[in-house]
Amino acid sequence: MLLRRVRAFVVRDFQLAVSYRMEFFLRMLSVLFVVTTLFFISRIFAGNAATNFTQWRNPLAAWITGLAVLNYFMTGFSSLANAIRSEQSQGTLESVLMTPIGVPTLVVASSAWDFVQTTFNSFLYLFFGWLFFDVHYQGNFLLALVFLVLTTLVLACLGILSASFAMVFKRGDPFGVILGVGSALFSGVFFPTQLLTEYAGRSLGQIPRFLPTTYGLEGIRRVLIEGQSFAQVREPLLMLLLFLGVLLPFSLWVFKRAVTRAKREGSLIQY
Amino acid sequence: MACANASIRANAIAERHDMIGTDATIAVSISNVSKTYPIPLARLKQIFRRPTTAPVEALRDVSFSIREGEIFGLIGRNGAGKTTLTKIIATLVQPTSGRVTVHGRDSVRDEEAVRAQVGLATAEERSFYWRLTSEQNMIFFARLYGLSDRAARSRTAELFARFDLESAARRRFGELSTGNKQRLAVARALLARPPVLLLDEPTRSLDPIASAGMRRLISSLAKEQPPATVLLTSHNLDEIEALCDRVGVISGGSIRAINTPENLRGLHKSVERVRLTLQHLPHEDIRRVLGKSFTDLEIKEIPNGDNGKNVSVLFAREAEDDRLGWAISRLHEAGGRILACDTERATLLDVLESYERTTADAKGES
Repeated sequence: MLLRRVRAFVVRDFQLAVSYRMEFFLRMLSVLFVVTTLFFISRIFAGNAATNFTQWRNPLAAWITGLAVLNYFMTGFSSLANAIRSEQSQGTLESVLMTPIGVPTLVVASSAWDFVQTTFNSFLYLFFGWLFFDVHYQGNFLLALVFLVLTTLVLACLGILSASFAMVFKRGDPFGVILGVGSALFSGVFFPTQLLTEYAGRSLGQIPRFLPTTYGLEGIRRVLIEGQSFAQVREPLLMLLLFLGVLLPFSLWVFKRAVTRAKREGSLIQY
Repeated sequence: MACANASIRANAIAERHDMIGTDATIAVSISNVSKTYPIPLARLKQIFRRPTTAPVEALRDVSFSIREGEIFGLIGRNGAGKTTLTKIIATLVQPTSGRVTVHGRDSVRDEEAVRAQVGLATAEERSFYWRLTSEQNMIFFARLYGLSDRAARSRTAELFARFDLESAARRRFGELSTGNKQRLAVARALLARPPVLLLDEPTRSLDPIASAGMRRLISSLAKEQPPATVLLTSHNLDEIEALCDRVGVISGGSIRAINTPENLRGLHKSVERVRLTLQHLPHEDIRRVLGKSFTDLEIKEIPNGDNGKNVSVLFAREAEDDRLGWAISRLHEAGGRILACDTERATLLDVLESYERTTADAKGES
């Protein structure tokens, strides 16, 4: 039954997406433009990376992996809250909630299309890099997928917290600002996190250690670019599991309280 | 008279309380439901000494039940509490205190089971996806109700045929006429064949012919096997009167009366004005025949279409007494030809206004 409902949302969102045909092609084009731009910037740095930054010897590979993965992480984090906000702002939340579907199912199912779309977009980053700019990946793709899924789950927990915030306070979500900007800056999407300590001091250099995206990106790059094995990437994997173990029960507890509060206040469908 | 009214009103209230709880055919039971909307972030506002408004008391100790197969009307002014009550039954809002059950299922503890039994149709156009077609919208909601693809398509087609929406099936919701949007909302509420239907102003945007069609449809739902139970809120009091078995009057968050439309009218005006239109009887004869029995008799000549004149006779009588039949037979015996008989009775509007006046008076006193 859950899968049938998830499918219903995916089909609905696909139908909505194809009703805006132009947007689909423009999105593909924009990914190609970004990858092309990064290729030319990478030519400036090619071969100049310090020897200790092994993942950054080919900066284009590091950037497009970083962007593809960050794209995915951000979806895991933001799509749950966006799903609630979007239904609230369209005015359809009430009619959806009138069906025998629980709020948690609604949140998960209505964000499913975002994941489908993001998977496609992330694939485009890697595909365009391979097709046009000779970027090659190695290592265990299955292990990279484990990292991707695990980090997305951790970020989905933060997404649940964000959705709880959206349900009660509607807008002004602090998680979006902190994680959105923070992840891009502090988790090594565009530059190695070691540089933070070197240039910004020891205290700022500690920030990446508290972001799950740092471990996700680190793991995926070590697998795909350096070709490391499971034994070699055990540490970031364990850190992600630790994040998940703490955040999952906490976020579900907060979410349940937020739903109850919104229903008590009668503000569940307000935007 | 006042004594008789008080007695009828007491009976109405007694009937209301008798119904709650034990009847096996009760579809919706509402027991002592109150709802106060809290002020969001009130504590935080107090800490920062920001001004706060008082919490809104939307419902106050509301109790009644709706029998299976009954069409129950809820009337009241805007802000009286109709929508809050409907949303509580639909599980969209939780009551502050009290309990609502739908076929024995609690609306808070067992909300998914309740939602499976309740269909809600509101006049809110934004409850659909405007860029999807009517059919895509319906199939999406059918899937959420757990219908398989095939069942969803077949149920949608069935409802489109029933609501005369076939020509609108492939059109985007945003392109539909207001009437078709309204009909689609009611059709959606019926997707899962719910035993309980909550209809919030289902004919608000419909033209007179479409309204009549919708009324026939609502009426037929309660006669189906198994019958649907309908809670109908509307500002169209004629519609409420025509459709509903019983009507609840809600004012200031409280249920003020529940009874059949006829009895409710009877509570408020036991005297009705009667107008007889007749021919072939002069003024003097009419006054001679009826003058002693009806002290407030008014007789007027009114021109008819054949350059002649009819006579209009107006008098007051106690509702449903036997003096109307007596007057007609006496006039007939005296040689008069009765052309028409109209009575001017209390309407549900009179009932509603009367309760609103007492609510306003009570507020003034407090």
